[in-house]
Parts: sequence; structure tokens; C-alpha cells
Amino acid sequence: MTAPQPPVGVSADTGRYLYAVCRGLDAAAVDSVQGIDGATLELVDHRDLVALVSTVPLSSYGEEALRRNLEDLSWLETVVRAHDTVIHAAARHAPTAPLRLATVCFDDAAVRDRLREWYVALTDVLDRVDGCSEWSVKVLVPTEAPEPSETAAPTSGADYLRRKKSDAARRAGTAEAATATAHLVHDSLASHARDSRQLPPQDPRLSGHEGTMVLNAAYLVPDDAAEAFAGLVAGLGAEHPDVVVDGRGPWPPYSFAMLEQR
Amino acid sequence: MTESPGGVPTSRPYYSGPPSQPGRTQPATLADILERVLDKGIIIAGDIRVNLLDIELLTIKLRLLVVSVDKAEEMGIDWWRHDPMLTVRERGLDEENRQLRERLAELEGGGSEDGSSDGQPAKESGRAGGRSR
Repeated sequence: MTAPQPPVGVSADTGRYLYAVCRGLDAAAVDSVQGIDGATLELVDHRDLVALVSTVPLSSYGEEALRRNLEDLSWLETVVRAHDTVIHAAARHAPTAPLRLATVCFDDAAVRDRLREWYVALTDVLDRVDGCSEWSVKVLVPTEAPEPSETAAPTSGADYLRRKKSDAARRAGTAEAATATAHLVHDSLASHARDSRQLPPQDPRLSGHEGTMVLNAAYLVPDDAAEAFAGLVAGLGAEHPDVVVDGRGPWPPYSFAMLEQR
Repeated sequence: MTESPGGVPTSRPYYSGPPSQPGRTQPATLADILERVLDKGIIIAGDIRVNLLDIELLTIKLRLLVVSVDKAEEMGIDWWRHDPMLTVRERGLDEENRQLRERLAELEGGGSEDGSSDGQPAKESGRAGGRSR
């Protein structure tokens, strides 16, 4: 399925896949990292910016092929993970602005054109994320265990409805409390971050979590404050034993890399 | 500082791995990666045109793909655009209503009919709720 690696350079059959734009990235820093399909990573520079690229066959990354392949979850997962691995590696060494999946140019000249065209906006993004990483924090509410009252069979329909009503009221109270906790956790973390974003709650089938996700947020945290931030996450977890506060990172600043104009 | 509702067990695991420790590298879930690589990051048009609408549709489809039909209905088709807090609450109440209606129908029909009035076949115990186990 994978085409043999074409020689580096311009070819009608290949394109240049862009992973990220960095500032001051040393090629040696990503030497041991492989791109999509095991391709060699290369840098295309313009002034102080570099685009991190590798060669991809247009038979898989051309317009038609992409449209088809993006629908294939296992293909997508492989590419998405490779994309992320490269960006993680770069972000460890230099300010990095991740690009969205499947940004493909025909050749290096076209890549440079993009860097030239977007130079100011890219520089702004890199300034914003310089020295920072993204931390993902989720708040999860446990799946409820059945109440003892539910174990005994209801004596009548009315009894059943009465029980259901009181259970519903209790659960509404729980949901409200969880919402309040999520707000508290978010406010507390956001005040210790340079920036923050709330993301949609995730689907359990993809994330593997149990319970209800009431907060899924990303925080842009200066690297020298990462330890304090992690401590804060742990502290909030201990402070709110009715929920689970799940913090993960560091991530490249995906959620904070947006160009000002589109 | 907050009033915890009390009575909710706290020590069950949420992910299959060990409890998370911020600061330690953890394998990212596919959900974590997808929501960032597909939904976030800088958008620069390359020479290969990937319609952004396609990508948006893709993320929607992906979410629906992995969500069972009743779960998707339960969440509402565009659940990710809603305030998560709101969605959670609504979802709970909807589910509650549905269960009550089912139970009522069951009682009124002498237990012979297990269906719900709105044409949605009630799943055999297990999957229907997701919440109640």
C-alpha cells in the first residue's frame, strides 16, 4: 500500500507534507524522528522560520486520495499519530506552531511561499506560545452505583414513580454540583495559565473514560510553571473527591496555535 | 471549599491505566490526539486542497461513527457545540424521562409490552441507559 520512498526533491508524484512551523529549530533535534510512513524529516526555511516537512506520495495524499483516505479510521489514526509524534519532538526543542493535518504543498518553493505569506501571523503565534506547553485537564463524574432503594422491588407503580422522582432530584443535584466543581476547577487553573480553552467533552468510545466528562479544557502554561501547575491539578483533585481531575501533558500548543486572520 | 454532594463513591478508576499523575508522560488517547490534530492547529492552504468543510464533516462523522445511535440521539446530533455542562444536565433528564415513560408503559400494559411510546425499541437492559448499571 505504501509507495517506495521517492528521492527527495521535486517530483510530479510526490508532495511536501507540512507538520509545523518552528523558530530556531536545529535539524539535529529531530534527527531520530521519522515522519509519516517512516519518511525523513527535513526543514524548509524562510528568514528565522522553518517548516518541518517530509515527502509524501500524491497517490495517497493527493486531493482524491486524501478525500478517500480521511474516511478510513485506521489510515487516519496512523497519520494522525505520526503527525503528532513529529510535532511533539519539535515542540520539545523550539517554539512550535502545529499545522492542521494534511497540509501538502507540491515543492519546497511552495512551502517557502506560505512562510513568506504568513510570516507576520506565524511570528505572532510563535511569540504567544514561546516557552509554553499545553496541558489537558478533564473533570469526570463517576458513573453512579445503583441506590440501595433500587435493589428492592417497588411495591406499586406509585411507589416506583415516587422513588424515581426522588432519584431524579438527587441526580439533578449531583449534576449541578459537578457543574459547579468543573467551573471552580477551570477558573482556578485558568488563573494560573497564560491562556485557556474549553473543548467539547469527548466520546467515551474514543477516550476510554468512564463516567461523565464535565470539563475538557486546555491550558497554555509556561514551562517553568509546569510543576506548580501539575501540583495545582493534583491539589484540586484532592479538594474535590466527588470528581476525578485528570491532567495530562505537556502537549505542543495545538489549541493555542491559530492565525489571527484566515 | 465546595459542597460536595456526598454519597458518591470516589475511588473507582476512570481510565484503564493507573491514576494519572500530571507531570508524568502518559500515552495520549486517540480522542486527545484527534481533537487536537483535526480540530486545532494552524490552517494554511497547501497546494493539495483539503476542503476545511470536509475536515469538519469528518470530525462530525468520526464522532458519530464511534457513538452508537441511541447514544448519539441521547446527546443530540450536535452535542459538541453545546455547553458541556448544559448537555450533561439535559442528557440526564432526557434519559430519566425515557425510563419513566418506559416503566409506565410497562406497568400499564401489565408488563407485556416492553416498547416505548416514541417508536424507539427499548434495548434489553444493558445498553439502553449507559448511565444506570
